[in-house]
Amino acid sequence: MTEALAAPRSHFGRPENTRRTLVLFLGPCVLYLLIFAIYPLVHSLRLSFTDLTAAAGTGRFVGLENYRFLFSDPQFWNAAMNSAIMVGLGVTIQVVAGVALAMFFNLNLRGAWIVRGILILPMLMTPIVVGVMWRALLNPDWGLVDWAITSIGLSPPDWLGSVRMAIVTLVLVDSWQWTPFVFMIVFARLQALPQDVFEAAEVDGAGPWTTFRRITLPMLMPAIVFAAVFRAVDAFRAFDLIYGLSYGGPARGTTTLAFFAFQNGFQFQNYGYAAAVAYAMLIVLAVGTTVLFRFLSLRRGLT
Amino acid sequence: MTRPRMTPGRMLAYATLILIGIGGIAPFLYLAILSTKRRIEIVAQVPPSLSFDWQVAARNYREVLWEQGMAEFTLNSLIVVSIATLLAVLIGLPAAYAFSRIRFRGSDGLASFILSMRFMPPIAVAIPLFLMMRWVGLTDTYAGLILPYVAFSLPLVVWIMIGFFDEIPHEIDEAAEIDGASHWQILTRVQLPIVWPGVMTAALFGALFIWNEFLVSLYIVNSRSLQTISLGAATLVSAQRPIDWNIAAAVGVVTVIPILIFSLFVQRYIVRGLTSGAVK
Repeated sequence: MTEALAAPRSHFGRPENTRRTLVLFLGPCVLYLLIFAIYPLVHSLRLSFTDLTAAAGTGRFVGLENYRFLFSDPQFWNAAMNSAIMVGLGVTIQVVAGVALAMFFNLNLRGAWIVRGILILPMLMTPIVVGVMWRALLNPDWGLVDWAITSIGLSPPDWLGSVRMAIVTLVLVDSWQWTPFVFMIVFARLQALPQDVFEAAEVDGAGPWTTFRRITLPMLMPAIVFAAVFRAVDAFRAFDLIYGLSYGGPARGTTTLAFFAFQNGFQFQNYGYAAAVAYAMLIVLAVGTTVLFRFLSLRRGLT
Repeated sequence: MTRPRMTPGRMLAYATLILIGIGGIAPFLYLAILSTKRRIEIVAQVPPSLSFDWQVAARNYREVLWEQGMAEFTLNSLIVVSIATLLAVLIGLPAAYAFSRIRFRGSDGLASFILSMRFMPPIAVAIPLFLMMRWVGLTDTYAGLILPYVAFSLPLVVWIMIGFFDEIPHEIDEAAEIDGASHWQILTRVQLPIVWPGVMTAALFGALFIWNEFLVSLYIVNSRSLQTISLGAATLVSAQRPIDWNIAAAVGVVTVIPILIFSLFVQRYIVRGLTSGAVK
């Protein structure tokens, strides 16, 4: 036990071996992630340099061939474009609607807690079921949404049948499910804001819009950025919603990068190419989240 | 506080509130209604009538639960989800404690590294995990699903639990330290009773993620009898092929009902879990 005696003592002189405690507490977690997360990631990188498919005799090292093919593959760029729309348009809609909802619920109407409870439900739903549910709602022949739109005398768009519309429909369905997430986070922050600032603004004669633009919004910014980052990442990697809603179609109109990787890996069993697509996604994710989180912690330091 | 009078503005606000509530719940109610109809009624009645033939509903659910196997899939999911969540909490809890309470070099780096796993697209690891499980002969077993799923929910558990541990004032464990308690004793005897809501929250979100996941099970599971509920739902209602909508709707309801029941019991933890890490 000589090592225990030589170990750095905690500030109360507890004779516990901190290093041993650390290993016991952190070891299982780190080891587990090394085996079941890091090793697969490394393996995936290795796969992306091979031509492995489900067929026997494949798996040769082909260097950067998959990546070279990727950059010249119009289907990859189509998928990248769809991912950009899903993330860009989706996060914009969800942030605007989420902040609007938070301001609305800040009126503290009676019974509003019931509606807040309802808004949690979409987030808990299995994405595949959300997709199927909306496929029913938007059915051109008998769907409830088209019936409602027709009965007020308008003509509904071809939600999932037109290539251009389908990606917008996907964004709208994703927003139905996840705007509440942005709302919850922004609302929690809004309710925690000090009230004296708003009283001071009112005394100074600031109108509601000026108060919102100049005071509320800047103070909500950390929460908004946080929610937006999480939504961006989850929208980027979502593929089960697409699986249930549109299966990437029509004509690849809703094939995002995540779905493209899935199709190559599972349907066409091009393991090597799928790994390359997944790594392209990981690079975008790593760069994106690093930049955004640097921005986040910077902001936290300022507030 | 005096009750404000009903001005036109407030009436408009309440109307908006009701509309938001309907927008949130109507899609699910619609799905539930469709699940009680005959196949031809779905096409013929627009909007679906609210007079129900419960025998038809019972027939739909019988078919989904027994003939299509959703009852068995639900049981599989319950087994996989509970074991994997339990393991993730057991492994993640001490780790979160260490990040929150023990100062060591590289603590922040390691913590953010583990948390960054939360952002990993499952598609990036699904194929290697499948090859790994095949190599050790665990494809088509519960263990083959549980092992990867623990890794998926671990970062969530650690992430949520660090937040809860950070909230406990340091005075509490300092008092225990003076009494000579080890970190293990502080964790199990002093902090665990306090962070119990946090453990529930972490378990809930770990479980929810596993319940909804189906990409990995798509690779690992071959035999029908081992399918999980989301995988079963996916194969029954995939957008790939035409489907019987009454059956698809019943599949959806069967998939979502357990989540709704569960969330009723743990309602107060949900908001906290969703916003964890956000509000500092």
